[in-house]
Amino acid sequence: MALLALLGNSRMLKKAASGVLASLRGSTYRSVRLASSLTAALLDDLFEHPAGRSTALPHGDRLMEKSDHTKVAILGAGRGGLALLDLLHQIPSIEIVGIADRDPAAPGLPRARELRIPVTTDMPDLISNHGVSLIMDVTGDPEMEAYLHAHKPPTVDILSGSASRLLWQLVQHESKLEAELLQSEKLAGIGSFAAGVAHDINNPLQLILGLAENLAEERDLTAVHEQARDIIEAVKRTSAICRDLTHYSRRASPHENVLVSVNDKLDEALKIARYASSFHDIEMIKQYQPGAAVKGNPDELLHVLVNLITNAVHAMEHAGGTLTLETTVLDEQVGVRISDTGCGIAPDKIPEIFEPFFTTKAPGKGTGLGLYNVKTIVDKMQGKITVDSQIDKGTTFTLTFPNAEPAGQEGCLS
Amino acid sequence: MSENEFKSGFFIGGEACEGRVLVVDDEPDIRKIVKMTLQKAGYEVLEAENGEKAIEVINSGENRLLLDVVICDIRMPKINGAEAVAYFRSNYPRVPLIVLTGFPDTDMATSFLRQGVVDYLVKPVEGEKLRSAVARAIEQRELARL
Ligand SMILES: Nc1ncnc2c1ncn2[C@@H]1O[C@H](COP(=O)(O)OP(=O)(O)O)[C@@H](O)[C@H]1O
Ligand SMILES: [Mg+2]
Repeated sequence: MALLALLGNSRMLKKAASGVLASLRGSTYRSVRLASSLTAALLDDLFEHPAGRSTALPHGDRLMEKSDHTKVAILGAGRGGLALLDLLHQIPSIEIVGIADRDPAAPGLPRARELRIPVTTDMPDLISNHGVSLIMDVTGDPEMEAYLHAHKPPTVDILSGSASRLLWQLVQHESKLEAELLQSEKLAGIGSFAAGVAHDINNPLQLILGLAENLAEERDLTAVHEQARDIIEAVKRTSAICRDLTHYSRRASPHENVLVSVNDKLDEALKIARYASSFHDIEMIKQYQPGAAVKGNPDELLHVLVNLITNAVHAMEHAGGTLTLETTVLDEQVGVRISDTGCGIAPDKIPEIFEPFFTTKAPGKGTGLGLYNVKTIVDKMQGKITVDSQIDKGTTFTLTFPNAEPAGQEGCLS
Repeated sequence: MSENEFKSGFFIGGEACEGRVLVVDDEPDIRKIVKMTLQKAGYEVLEAENGEKAIEVINSGENRLLLDVVICDIRMPKINGAEAVAYFRSNYPRVPLIVLTGFPDTDMATSFLRQGVVDYLVKPVEGEKLRSAVARAIEQRELARL
């Protein structure tokens, strides 16, 4: 069986573990990628090929029917069990059939109830459940392994405690490094805002200074009033810039998963992107369908949109062009399209653009991390990103997310 | 008095004029305030919102001869400031150029000064400083003529 073979030679696990070690040592990005792709491969092999079927399905052709789900039972609802719950319930192809702990006060049990996962204190009952295809043992009980082998139904696979733990650690570590990377890319990006911010702050300051100098001598009261009002407006414009930017640069609050209006976020992203790049000679077209809402972390979605808009504007830097922002709402899906009429991407480069550090921009201008982070966030939101590009014609990035407010629900509300 | 037409201090509409200045900036606020500041000191101020318009203005009629100073922003649409500076320097080497920018960038400043830009001012600049930069630029131009 795929799973047992995998755990048996445990080459995969060792490789994954060495990926983690390497990243711990160097904390470099490439090793995160390694750890991340190995974790993904591991999860793939563990869960997307149900026990008993060892032939791999071609990628992109995975059946996601209920019967194909890996049905997991978790033994032990201590810290390990709790962690596994949190990890596994996010994976669509996994169904957690139940979690058991002899101790009714175990911390994982209330969490399982929250997630509407059946809870029991009767371990033997869960172990003999025929609906289960994989038992993950995180009881820490040395006798458990022998007991499992003696009592489990013959078709059920077992993932031992140490393997489960390693898997969890791998995922934790990866997500921690990823958060770090997102933040550092954001801060590096702020550097490229310097010119735009200086421009947008110093222009109103010039106005304020000039008006104030004039006010010191102005005798016409009407002019005094008018200029004082101009100064107030200029100060407001200046402080809005600081507000936008501090909001953008702050660390995204973790684990936030709320309803976000994509149209609002696009407008917010536009404001920020204007600091990062010059919008001169760029025509804007907005086609928003009302009610485009997705589930996710608002700060992270903002980051995605800022990156895509900035890239689009960079691509039109030399000749100008048209930036089109479009949202669509279909029953099950929300679509976001960001198109430019810029330089385009060569077909042979397209597979590389989502790789970390791939950039065609001058140092200080591009980090090569933008699209990597975009992809990471979109994946996390269970969305998809596709790119369509033609050299010298332009590029379109399309995002699709599960609709957070499908028509049925909306109907109920209104 | 054939020299007089080259000197600043000619008369327009009966008022003493210290010189004719073209201010190139995409922000109407900046053009307004620079104009206000320089008019007080007796300069006549023309405006252009980008490099392209600036080139139009400088090529129109008497401006070819009578323009004394160009004050130019850098970050602008159409022909941007840097391109405009290059154009002015090669086509109108006699007209002194002052760069007035919102973004202090030493590399850029050095390159402009090397191209013969007479002053590089960073916004916000006090009225007094701006006026003396313009006066200095005109003075240099006069000296170069002698
Ligand atoms: N809209 C676009 N048009 C043309 N090229 C693009 C576009 N978006 C991304 N690219 C290419 O993909 C590369 C990687 O993008 P990204 O990961 O955002 O890094 P960066 O923008 O820092 O270079 C860019 O350097 C560029 O070559
Ligand atoms: Mg980018």
